[in-house]
Amino acid sequence: MTESVDIPAPAPTETAAGGVAVDTRNGIEVTDLDIYYSDFLAVEGVSMTINPRSITALIGPSGCGKSTFLRSLNRMHEVIEGAYVRGSVVINGNDLYGPGVDPVAVRRKIGMVFQRPNPFPTMSIFDNVIAGHKLNSKRMKRAESEDLVEKSLKGANLWEEVKDRLDKPGSGLSGGQQQRLCIARAIATSPDVLLMDEPCSALDPISTLAIEELMLELKNDYTIVIVTHNMQQAARVSNRTGFFSIAGTGKPGNLIEMDSTEKIFSNPAQQETQDYVTGRFG
Amino acid sequence: MNELRSNFHDQLAEIRQGIAQMSAGVTELVPRATQILLDGDLEAAEYIILGDDEYDAKSVELEERCFTSIALQAPVASDLRSLVSAIKIIADVERSADLCVNICKAARRIYGHELDPNLRGVIQKMGDQATVLFKEATETYLNLDGPRAGALHDMDSYLDDLQRQFIQVIFESHAAGNIDLQVAVQLAVVARFFERIGDHAVNVGDRVRYIVDGWVPEHPYPESDNDPPEMVDGVVVADGG
Repeated sequence: MTESVDIPAPAPTETAAGGVAVDTRNGIEVTDLDIYYSDFLAVEGVSMTINPRSITALIGPSGCGKSTFLRSLNRMHEVIEGAYVRGSVVINGNDLYGPGVDPVAVRRKIGMVFQRPNPFPTMSIFDNVIAGHKLNSKRMKRAESEDLVEKSLKGANLWEEVKDRLDKPGSGLSGGQQQRLCIARAIATSPDVLLMDEPCSALDPISTLAIEELMLELKNDYTIVIVTHNMQQAARVSNRTGFFSIAGTGKPGNLIEMDSTEKIFSNPAQQETQDYVTGRFG
Repeated sequence: MNELRSNFHDQLAEIRQGIAQMSAGVTELVPRATQILLDGDLEAAEYIILGDDEYDAKSVELEERCFTSIALQAPVASDLRSLVSAIKIIADVERSADLCVNICKAARRIYGHELDPNLRGVIQKMGDQATVLFKEATETYLNLDGPRAGALHDMDSYLDDLQRQFIQVIFESHAAGNIDLQVAVQLAVVARFFERIGDHAVNVGDRVRYIVDGWVPEHPYPESDNDPPEMVDGVVVADGG
Protein backbone atom coordinates (compact mmCIF):
# COMPACT_ATOMS: atom_id res chain seq x y z
CA MET A 1 0.00 0.00 0.00
CA THR A 2 2.78 2.43 0.81
CA GLU A 3 5.01 1.76 -2.16
CA SER A 4 3.15 3.92 -4.67
CA VAL A 5 2.53 6.93 -2.47
CA ASP A 6 4.04 10.13 -3.76
CA ILE A 7 3.35 12.33 -0.78
CA PRO A 8 5.44 11.09 2.11
CA ALA A 9 4.97 12.60 5.54
CA PRO A 10 7.88 14.56 7.00
CA ALA A 11 9.08 14.13 10.57
CA PRO A 12 5.98 13.85 12.73
CA THR A 13 6.70 16.64 15.16
CA GLU A 14 7.87 20.16 15.09
CA THR A 15 8.78 21.92 18.29
CA ALA A 16 6.87 25.09 19.04
CA ALA A 17 7.47 27.52 21.87
CA GLY A 18 7.69 26.01 25.30
CA GLY A 19 8.85 22.68 23.92
CA VAL A 20 5.32 21.50 23.23
CA ALA A 21 5.34 19.18 20.27
CA VAL A 22 2.89 20.26 17.60
CA ASP A 23 2.05 17.61 15.06
CA THR A 24 1.66 19.38 11.76
CA ARG A 25 1.38 16.30 9.57
CA ASN A 26 -1.46 16.24 7.08
CA GLY A 27 -2.35 19.90 7.30
CA ILE A 28 -2.91 21.54 3.93
CA GLU A 29 -1.55 24.86 2.76
CA VAL A 30 -3.34 26.36 -0.22
CA THR A 31 -1.69 29.36 -1.86
CA ASP A 32 -3.19 31.63 -4.51
CA LEU A 33 -5.20 28.88 -6.09
CA ASP A 34 -7.04 29.70 -9.33
CA ILE A 35 -9.20 26.91 -10.71
CA TYR A 36 -10.12 26.84 -14.39
CA TYR A 37 -12.50 24.80 -16.47
CA SER A 38 -10.84 25.33 -19.84
CA ASP A 39 -10.73 29.15 -20.15
CA PHE A 40 -13.43 29.77 -17.53
CA LEU A 41 -12.03 30.89 -14.18
CA ALA A 42 -14.28 29.13 -11.62
CA VAL A 43 -12.44 29.97 -8.40
CA GLU A 44 -9.96 32.76 -7.96
CA GLY A 45 -7.09 33.45 -5.61
CA VAL A 46 -7.84 31.12 -2.70
CA SER A 47 -5.25 30.94 0.04
CA MET A 48 -6.03 29.02 3.19
CA THR A 49 -4.50 26.86 5.87
CA ILE A 50 -6.36 23.66 6.63
CA ASN A 51 -5.41 22.43 10.07
CA PRO A 52 -4.54 18.78 10.54
CA ARG A 53 -6.86 16.47 12.47
CA SER A 54 -9.68 18.96 12.63
CA ILE A 55 -12.78 19.67 10.62
CA THR A 56 -12.81 22.55 8.18
CA ALA A 57 -16.21 23.47 6.76
CA LEU A 58 -16.72 25.36 3.52
CA ILE A 59 -19.99 27.23 3.16
CA GLY A 60 -21.41 29.63 0.63
CA PRO A 61 -24.23 30.11 -1.87
CA SER A 62 -24.71 27.73 -4.81
CA GLY A 63 -22.20 28.24 -7.56
CA CYS A 64 -19.64 29.95 -5.33
CA GLY A 65 -17.02 27.36 -6.17
CA LYS A 66 -16.77 25.61 -2.82
CA SER A 67 -17.27 22.12 -4.30
CA THR A 68 -14.89 22.89 -7.13
CA PHE A 69 -12.35 24.02 -4.57
CA LEU A 70 -12.90 20.84 -2.52
CA ARG A 71 -12.36 18.68 -5.60
CA SER A 72 -9.16 20.53 -6.40
CA LEU A 73 -7.79 19.32 -3.06
CA ASN A 74 -7.47 15.79 -4.44
CA ARG A 75 -7.38 16.67 -8.14
CA MET A 76 -10.82 15.14 -8.58
CA HIS A 77 -11.95 18.12 -10.66
CA GLU A 78 -9.47 17.04 -13.32
CA VAL A 79 -11.79 14.26 -14.40
CA ILE A 80 -13.50 17.05 -16.34
CA GLU A 81 -11.69 17.62 -19.62
CA GLY A 82 -9.77 20.88 -19.72
CA ALA A 83 -9.79 21.55 -15.98
CA TYR A 84 -6.57 22.85 -14.47
CA VAL A 85 -5.29 25.03 -11.65
CA ARG A 86 -2.74 27.74 -10.99
CA GLY A 87 -1.23 28.10 -7.55
CA SER A 88 -0.27 25.42 -5.09
CA VAL A 89 -1.80 22.92 -2.69
CA VAL A 90 0.87 21.67 -0.34
CA ILE A 91 0.50 18.75 2.04
CA ASN A 92 3.42 17.42 4.06
CA GLY A 93 5.79 19.60 2.07
CA ASN A 94 4.68 18.29 -1.32
CA ASP A 95 2.74 20.23 -3.90
CA LEU A 96 -0.16 18.12 -5.20
CA TYR A 97 0.21 19.89 -8.50
CA GLY A 98 3.97 19.54 -8.67
CA PRO A 99 5.54 18.03 -11.78
CA GLY A 100 5.36 14.24 -11.96
CA VAL A 101 2.74 13.86 -9.23
CA ASP A 102 0.29 11.10 -10.10
CA PRO A 103 -3.32 12.24 -9.49
CA VAL A 104 -4.33 8.66 -8.68
CA ALA A 105 -1.76 8.50 -5.89
CA VAL A 106 -3.05 11.84 -4.60
CA ARG A 107 -6.62 10.54 -4.47
CA ARG A 108 -5.45 7.47 -2.59
CA LYS A 109 -4.13 9.62 0.25
CA ILE A 110 -6.86 12.22 0.07
CA GLY A 111 -10.19 10.39 0.06
CA MET A 112 -13.55 11.76 -0.98
CA VAL A 113 -17.07 11.07 0.22
CA PHE A 114 -19.85 12.29 -2.04
CA GLN A 115 -23.30 13.75 -1.64
CA ARG A 116 -25.19 10.60 -2.62
CA PRO A 117 -24.07 7.38 -1.00
CA ASN A 118 -22.51 5.43 -3.86
CA PRO A 119 -21.58 1.93 -2.76
CA PHE A 120 -20.99 -0.51 -5.60
CA PRO A 121 -24.54 -1.88 -5.72
CA THR A 122 -23.88 -5.49 -6.60
CA MET A 123 -20.79 -5.88 -4.42
CA SER A 124 -21.13 -7.27 -0.94
CA ILE A 125 -20.59 -5.02 2.05
CA PHE A 126 -17.26 -6.78 2.59
CA ASP A 127 -16.08 -6.21 -0.96
CA ASN A 128 -17.27 -2.62 -0.92
CA VAL A 129 -14.98 -1.85 2.00
CA ILE A 130 -11.89 -3.31 0.37
CA ALA A 131 -12.76 -2.14 -3.14
CA GLY A 132 -10.33 0.77 -3.03
CA HIS A 133 -7.66 -1.52 -1.72
CA LYS A 134 -8.20 -4.10 -4.42
CA LEU A 135 -7.94 -1.45 -7.10
CA ASN A 136 -4.86 0.09 -5.61
CA SER A 137 -2.61 -2.67 -4.51
CA LYS A 138 -1.69 -6.25 -4.63
CA ARG A 139 -3.86 -9.00 -3.27
CA MET A 140 -4.24 -9.42 0.45
CA LYS A 141 -4.57 -12.57 2.49
CA ARG A 142 -8.11 -13.37 3.62
CA ALA A 143 -7.28 -12.74 7.27
CA GLU A 144 -5.71 -9.42 6.38
CA SER A 145 -8.81 -8.41 4.44
CA GLU A 146 -11.06 -9.42 7.32
CA ASP A 147 -9.06 -7.30 9.74
CA LEU A 148 -9.15 -4.32 7.43
CA VAL A 149 -12.90 -4.64 6.87
CA GLU A 150 -13.62 -4.89 10.59
CA LYS A 151 -11.32 -1.99 11.42
CA SER A 152 -12.77 0.22 8.69
CA LEU A 153 -16.38 -0.58 9.51
CA LYS A 154 -15.71 0.05 13.19
CA GLY A 155 -14.06 3.31 12.23
CA ALA A 156 -17.20 4.26 10.36
CA ASN A 157 -19.48 3.22 13.24
CA LEU A 158 -21.14 0.62 11.06
CA TRP A 159 -19.63 -2.65 12.29
CA GLU A 160 -22.27 -3.56 14.87
CA GLU A 161 -25.05 -3.02 12.35
CA VAL A 162 -23.60 -5.10 9.52
CA LYS A 163 -21.18 -7.63 11.01
CA ASP A 164 -23.66 -10.48 10.52
CA ARG A 165 -24.38 -9.71 6.89
CA LEU A 166 -21.05 -8.77 5.37
CA ASP A 167 -21.79 -10.93 2.32
CA LYS A 168 -25.03 -9.09 1.51
CA PRO A 169 -25.03 -6.34 -1.14
CA GLY A 170 -24.20 -2.81 -0.01
CA SER A 171 -27.28 -1.50 -1.77
CA GLY A 172 -29.48 -3.25 0.81
CA LEU A 173 -28.45 -0.83 3.53
CA SER A 174 -30.33 2.34 4.46
CA GLY A 175 -29.12 5.66 3.03
CA GLY A 176 -27.30 6.59 6.22
CA GLN A 177 -25.70 3.16 6.47
CA GLN A 178 -24.66 3.33 2.82
CA GLN A 179 -22.99 6.66 3.46
CA ARG A 180 -21.13 5.21 6.42
CA LEU A 181 -20.16 2.28 4.20
CA CYS A 182 -18.68 4.79 1.76
CA ILE A 183 -16.79 6.39 4.63
CA ALA A 184 -15.52 2.95 5.65
CA ARG A 185 -14.42 2.39 2.03
CA ALA A 186 -12.66 5.75 2.04
CA ILE A 187 -10.78 5.14 5.29
CA ALA A 188 -9.85 1.56 4.33
CA THR A 189 -7.11 2.93 2.09
CA SER A 190 -5.59 4.78 5.10
CA PRO A 191 -5.90 8.27 3.67
CA ASP A 192 -4.40 11.33 5.35
CA VAL A 193 -7.29 13.57 4.48
CA LEU A 194 -11.02 13.01 4.02
CA LEU A 195 -12.92 15.36 1.76
CA MET A 196 -16.69 15.33 2.12
CA ASP A 197 -18.94 16.96 -0.43
CA GLU A 198 -22.31 17.53 1.25
CA PRO A 199 -22.19 14.05 2.80
CA CYS A 200 -25.53 14.43 4.57
CA SER A 201 -27.68 16.27 2.06
CA ALA A 202 -29.34 13.04 0.88
CA LEU A 203 -29.86 11.70 4.41
CA ASP A 204 -32.60 11.92 7.01
CA PRO A 205 -31.93 13.92 10.22
CA ILE A 206 -31.07 10.88 12.38
CA SER A 207 -28.59 9.51 9.84
CA THR A 208 -27.22 13.03 9.51
CA LEU A 209 -26.53 13.21 13.24
CA ALA A 210 -24.90 9.75 13.08
CA ILE A 211 -22.55 10.96 10.33
CA GLU A 212 -21.80 14.14 12.27
CA GLU A 213 -20.92 12.14 15.37
CA LEU A 214 -18.72 9.94 13.22
CA MET A 215 -16.96 12.99 11.79
CA LEU A 216 -16.18 14.22 15.29
CA GLU A 217 -14.53 10.85 16.01
CA LEU A 218 -12.73 10.71 12.67
CA LYS A 219 -11.13 14.09 13.17
CA ASN A 220 -8.89 12.56 15.83
CA ASP A 221 -7.14 10.67 13.02
CA TYR A 222 -7.90 12.52 9.82
CA THR A 223 -7.87 15.99 8.44
CA ILE A 224 -11.45 16.56 7.31
CA VAL A 225 -12.75 19.14 4.88
CA ILE A 226 -16.49 19.28 4.40
CA VAL A 227 -18.62 21.25 1.97
CA THR A 228 -22.10 21.73 3.34
CA HIS A 229 -25.23 23.65 2.46
CA ASN A 230 -26.41 23.17 6.01
CA MET A 231 -24.93 26.03 7.97
CA GLN A 232 -26.05 24.50 11.24
CA GLN A 233 -24.05 21.42 10.34
CA ALA A 234 -20.98 23.56 9.75
CA ALA A 235 -21.63 25.23 13.11
CA ARG A 236 -22.10 21.92 14.92
CA VAL A 237 -19.13 19.95 13.65
CA SER A 238 -16.40 22.17 12.28
CA ASN A 239 -13.46 23.83 13.98
CA ARG A 240 -12.90 26.37 11.24
CA THR A 241 -15.23 27.67 8.59
CA GLY A 242 -14.47 29.24 5.25
CA PHE A 243 -17.10 31.34 3.50
CA PHE A 244 -17.03 31.40 -0.29
CA SER A 245 -19.02 33.78 -2.40
CA ILE A 246 -19.39 34.97 -5.94
CA ALA A 247 -19.80 38.52 -7.18
CA GLY A 248 -22.24 37.56 -9.96
CA THR A 249 -23.02 35.07 -12.71
CA GLY A 250 -19.93 34.31 -14.76
CA LYS A 251 -17.64 35.74 -12.08
CA PRO A 252 -15.21 33.48 -10.24
CA GLY A 253 -15.87 32.28 -6.69
CA ASN A 254 -13.74 33.77 -3.92
CA LEU A 255 -12.92 32.91 -0.34
CA ILE A 256 -14.42 35.85 1.53
CA GLU A 257 -13.51 34.96 5.09
CA MET A 258 -12.04 32.08 7.00
CA ASP A 259 -11.89 31.89 10.76
CA SER A 260 -12.77 29.78 13.77
CA THR A 261 -16.32 28.49 13.42
CA GLU A 262 -17.26 30.24 16.64
CA LYS A 263 -16.14 33.56 15.23
CA ILE A 264 -17.88 33.04 11.86
CA PHE A 265 -21.21 32.26 13.53
CA SER A 266 -21.04 34.75 16.39
CA ASN A 267 -19.27 37.77 14.99
CA PRO A 268 -17.79 37.45 11.50
CA ALA A 269 -15.42 40.18 10.40
CA GLN A 270 -16.91 40.64 6.92
CA GLN A 271 -20.35 42.12 6.38
CA GLU A 272 -20.85 39.71 3.47
CA THR A 273 -20.33 36.72 5.77
CA GLN A 274 -22.71 38.20 8.33
CA ASP A 275 -25.35 38.76 5.65
CA TYR A 276 -24.99 35.20 4.40
CA VAL A 277 -25.09 33.38 7.75
CA THR A 278 -28.07 35.43 8.94
CA GLY A 279 -29.92 34.95 5.64
CA ARG A 280 -29.89 38.59 4.63
CA PHE A 281 -28.26 37.57 1.40
CA GLY A 282 -28.54 34.40 -0.62
CA MET B 1 -29.79 38.60 -4.13
CA ASN B 2 -31.66 40.00 -1.20
CA GLU B 3 -33.26 39.40 2.20
CA LEU B 4 -34.11 35.71 2.59
CA ARG B 5 -35.47 35.63 6.12
CA SER B 6 -37.59 38.74 6.16
CA ASN B 7 -40.23 37.06 8.31
CA PHE B 8 -37.75 36.20 11.02
CA HIS B 9 -36.05 39.56 10.79
CA ASP B 10 -39.44 41.28 11.11
CA GLN B 11 -39.96 39.26 14.30
CA LEU B 12 -36.62 40.47 15.63
CA ALA B 13 -37.55 44.05 14.84
CA GLU B 14 -40.88 43.61 16.62
CA ILE B 15 -39.19 42.25 19.72
CA ARG B 16 -36.85 45.23 19.76
CA GLN B 17 -39.77 47.63 19.30
CA GLY B 18 -41.57 45.96 22.18
CA ILE B 19 -38.58 46.25 24.49
CA ALA B 20 -37.91 49.85 23.44
CA GLN B 21 -41.54 50.66 24.16
CA MET B 22 -41.25 49.16 27.64
CA SER B 23 -38.00 51.04 28.15
CA ALA B 24 -39.65 54.30 27.02
CA GLY B 25 -42.31 53.61 29.65
CA VAL B 26 -39.63 53.38 32.34
CA THR B 27 -38.08 56.59 31.02
CA GLU B 28 -41.41 58.28 31.88
CA LEU B 29 -41.69 56.42 35.15
CA VAL B 30 -38.46 57.81 36.62
CA PRO B 31 -39.49 61.52 36.69
CA ARG B 32 -42.96 60.57 37.91
CA ALA B 33 -41.53 58.55 40.80
CA THR B 34 -39.20 61.47 41.58
CA GLN B 35 -42.11 63.90 41.64
CA ILE B 36 -44.19 61.53 43.79
CA LEU B 37 -41.34 61.38 46.30
CA LEU B 38 -41.00 65.17 46.40
CA ASP B 39 -44.74 65.80 46.59
CA GLY B 40 -45.62 62.93 48.93
CA ASP B 41 -48.35 62.03 46.45
CA LEU B 42 -49.63 58.75 47.92
CA GLU B 43 -52.41 58.29 45.39
CA ALA B 44 -50.03 58.51 42.45
CA ALA B 45 -47.58 56.24 44.31
CA GLU B 46 -50.27 53.59 44.63
CA TYR B 47 -51.01 53.91 40.94
CA ILE B 48 -47.36 53.29 39.98
CA ILE B 49 -46.98 50.40 42.41
CA LEU B 50 -50.03 48.62 41.00
CA GLY B 51 -48.98 49.38 37.44
CA ASP B 52 -45.79 47.38 37.84
CA ASP B 53 -47.63 44.13 37.13
CA GLU B 54 -47.99 45.32 33.58
CA TYR B 55 -44.22 45.65 33.18
CA ASP B 56 -43.70 42.20 34.66
CA ALA B 57 -46.23 40.65 32.28
CA LYS B 58 -44.79 42.48 29.29
CA SER B 59 -41.26 41.40 30.13
CA VAL B 60 -42.30 37.74 30.43
CA GLU B 61 -44.09 37.94 27.10
CA LEU B 62 -41.08 39.48 25.35
CA GLU B 63 -38.70 37.00 26.92
CA GLU B 64 -40.82 34.11 25.71
CA ARG B 65 -40.77 35.52 22.20
CA CYS B 66 -36.96 35.58 22.39
CA PHE B 67 -36.85 31.95 23.56
CA THR B 68 -39.19 30.89 20.77
CA SER B 69 -37.06 32.62 18.15
CA ILE B 70 -33.91 30.98 19.48
CA ALA B 71 -35.60 27.57 19.54
CA LEU B 72 -37.15 27.76 16.10
CA GLN B 73 -34.90 29.97 14.02
CA ALA B 74 -31.37 28.88 14.98
CA PRO B 75 -30.14 32.47 14.92
CA VAL B 76 -26.45 33.18 14.38
CA ALA B 77 -24.09 36.16 14.31
CA SER B 78 -25.87 39.54 14.65
CA ASP B 79 -29.27 37.83 14.97
CA LEU B 80 -28.04 35.72 17.87
CA ARG B 81 -26.36 38.70 19.52
CA SER B 82 -29.55 40.69 19.17
CA LEU B 83 -31.69 37.98 20.82
CA VAL B 84 -29.29 37.19 23.65
CA SER B 85 -28.99 40.92 24.33
CA ALA B 86 -32.76 41.36 24.18
CA ILE B 87 -33.18 38.86 27.02
CA LYS B 88 -30.67 40.78 29.13
CA ILE B 89 -32.09 44.20 28.27
CA ILE B 90 -35.59 43.04 29.21
CA ALA B 91 -34.26 42.15 32.67
CA ASP B 92 -32.56 45.57 33.02
CA VAL B 93 -35.70 47.44 32.01
CA GLU B 94 -37.99 45.35 34.18
CA ARG B 95 -35.68 45.82 37.18
CA SER B 96 -35.60 49.56 36.58
CA ALA B 97 -39.40 49.65 36.69
CA ASP B 98 -39.16 47.83 40.04
CA LEU B 99 -36.76 50.49 41.31
CA CYS B 100 -39.27 53.20 40.42
CA VAL B 101 -41.82 51.24 42.43
CA ASN B 102 -39.35 51.12 45.31
CA ILE B 103 -38.97 54.90 45.17
CA CYS B 104 -42.77 55.22 45.39
CA LYS B 105 -42.82 52.86 48.38
CA ALA B 106 -40.16 55.00 50.04
CA ALA B 107 -42.41 58.03 49.41
CA ARG B 108 -45.09 56.28 51.45
CA ARG B 109 -42.67 55.58 54.30
CA ILE B 110 -41.46 59.16 54.61
CA TYR B 111 -44.94 60.62 54.16
CA GLY B 112 -45.56 63.65 56.35
CA HIS B 113 -41.88 64.45 56.86
CA GLU B 114 -40.79 67.79 55.51
CA LEU B 115 -37.69 67.69 53.22
CA ASP B 116 -35.43 70.75 53.26
CA PRO B 117 -34.54 72.55 49.97
CA ASN B 118 -31.03 71.03 49.83
CA LEU B 119 -32.44 67.51 49.88
CA ARG B 120 -35.16 68.37 47.40
CA GLY B 121 -32.62 69.88 45.03
CA VAL B 122 -30.34 66.88 44.94
CA ILE B 123 -33.27 64.41 44.66
CA GLN B 124 -34.50 66.40 41.66
CA LYS B 125 -31.04 66.30 40.08
CA MET B 126 -30.70 62.54 40.58
CA GLY B 127 -34.16 61.96 39.11
CA ASP B 128 -33.32 64.18 36.13
CA GLN B 129 -30.00 62.48 35.44
CA ALA B 130 -31.46 58.97 35.81
CA THR B 131 -34.21 59.99 33.37
CA VAL B 132 -31.69 61.32 30.84
CA LEU B 133 -29.66 58.11 31.12
CA PHE B 134 -32.67 55.91 30.55
CA LYS B 135 -33.90 57.99 27.65
CA GLU B 136 -30.48 57.79 26.06
CA ALA B 137 -30.29 54.01 26.61
CA THR B 138 -33.74 53.56 25.08
CA GLU B 139 -32.92 55.60 22.00
CA THR B 140 -29.55 53.98 21.39
CA TYR B 141 -31.24 50.58 21.59
CA LEU B 142 -34.05 51.58 19.27
CA ASN B 143 -31.57 52.93 16.72
CA LEU B 144 -28.78 50.44 17.51
CA ASP B 145 -26.41 53.37 17.83
CA GLY B 146 -23.18 51.89 19.18
CA PRO B 147 -21.07 55.05 19.49
CA ARG B 148 -23.86 56.88 21.34
CA ALA B 149 -24.27 53.91 23.69
CA GLY B 150 -20.60 54.30 24.58
CA ALA B 151 -21.33 57.72 26.11
CA LEU B 152 -23.57 56.25 28.81
CA HIS B 153 -20.66 55.33 31.08
CA ASP B 154 -19.66 59.00 31.40
CA MET B 155 -23.23 60.09 32.00
CA ASP B 156 -23.48 57.52 34.75
CA SER B 157 -20.37 58.89 36.48
CA TYR B 158 -22.26 62.12 37.06
CA LEU B 159 -25.16 60.19 38.59
CA ASP B 160 -22.68 58.43 40.89
CA ASP B 161 -21.31 61.84 41.96
CA LEU B 162 -24.85 62.99 42.70
CA GLN B 163 -25.38 59.93 44.87
CA ARG B 164 -22.32 60.83 46.96
CA GLN B 165 -23.58 64.42 47.22
CA PHE B 166 -27.01 63.20 48.23
CA ILE B 167 -25.59 61.05 51.05
CA GLN B 168 -23.58 64.06 52.26
CA VAL B 169 -26.68 66.27 52.26
CA ILE B 170 -28.62 63.56 54.13
CA PHE B 171 -25.93 63.56 56.85
CA GLU B 172 -26.00 67.33 57.07
CA SER B 173 -29.80 67.50 57.24
CA HIS B 174 -29.84 64.85 59.91
CA ALA B 175 -27.10 66.61 61.90
CA ALA B 176 -29.02 69.88 61.66
CA GLY B 177 -32.08 68.11 63.01
CA ASN B 178 -34.11 68.68 59.85
CA ILE B 179 -34.85 64.96 59.30
CA ASP B 180 -34.97 62.09 61.76
CA LEU B 181 -32.94 58.93 61.44
CA GLN B 182 -35.72 56.86 59.88
CA VAL B 183 -36.16 59.37 57.05
CA ALA B 184 -32.39 59.66 56.61
CA VAL B 185 -32.11 55.90 56.14
CA GLN B 186 -35.03 55.85 53.68
CA LEU B 187 -33.45 58.64 51.63
CA ALA B 188 -30.08 56.88 51.57
CA VAL B 189 -31.84 53.85 50.09
CA VAL B 190 -33.60 56.08 47.54
CA ALA B 191 -30.19 57.44 46.51
CA ARG B 192 -29.16 53.88 45.86
CA PHE B 193 -32.31 53.23 43.77
CA PHE B 194 -31.55 56.15 41.45
CA GLU B 195 -27.95 55.06 41.16
CA ARG B 196 -29.03 51.52 40.23
CA ILE B 197 -31.38 52.83 37.53
CA GLY B 198 -28.33 54.53 36.00
CA ASP B 199 -26.40 51.26 36.13
CA HIS B 200 -29.17 49.42 34.31
CA ALA B 201 -29.17 52.12 31.62
CA VAL B 202 -25.41 51.62 31.22
CA ASN B 203 -25.99 47.86 30.90
CA VAL B 204 -28.49 48.49 28.12
CA GLY B 205 -25.91 50.66 26.36
CA ASP B 206 -23.26 47.93 26.69
CA ARG B 207 -25.68 45.42 25.19
CA VAL B 208 -26.33 47.75 22.28
CA ARG B 209 -22.61 47.87 21.59
CA TYR B 210 -22.53 44.06 21.74
CA ILE B 211 -25.35 43.82 19.19
CA VAL B 212 -23.66 46.30 16.88
CA ASP B 213 -20.16 44.86 16.76
CA GLY B 214 -19.70 42.17 19.40
CA TRP B 215 -18.07 44.44 22.00
CA VAL B 216 -18.35 43.33 25.61
CA PRO B 217 -16.72 45.15 28.52
CA GLU B 218 -14.98 42.01 29.79
CA HIS B 219 -13.09 41.20 26.61
CA PRO B 220 -13.38 43.82 23.93
CA TYR B 221 -13.75 41.63 20.84
CA PRO B 222 -14.03 37.90 20.19
CA GLU B 223 -10.78 36.27 19.26
CA SER B 224 -10.09 35.65 15.63
CA ASP B 225 -7.92 32.93 14.11
CA ASN B 226 -6.62 35.65 11.87
CA ASP B 227 -5.15 37.74 14.68
CA PRO B 228 -1.38 37.81 14.54
CA PRO B 229 0.28 35.50 17.06
CA GLU B 230 1.46 37.09 20.27
CA MET B 231 5.26 37.19 20.30
CA VAL B 232 7.69 37.73 23.14
CA ASP B 233 11.36 37.95 22.17
CA GLY B 234 10.62 36.36 18.84
CA VAL B 235 8.82 33.37 20.38
CA VAL B 236 5.14 32.68 19.90
CA VAL B 237 3.48 32.70 23.33
CA ALA B 238 -0.11 32.50 22.14
CA ASP B 239 -1.42 32.05 18.66
CA GLY B 240 -4.24 34.26 17.49
CA GLY B 241 -7.00 31.70 17.64
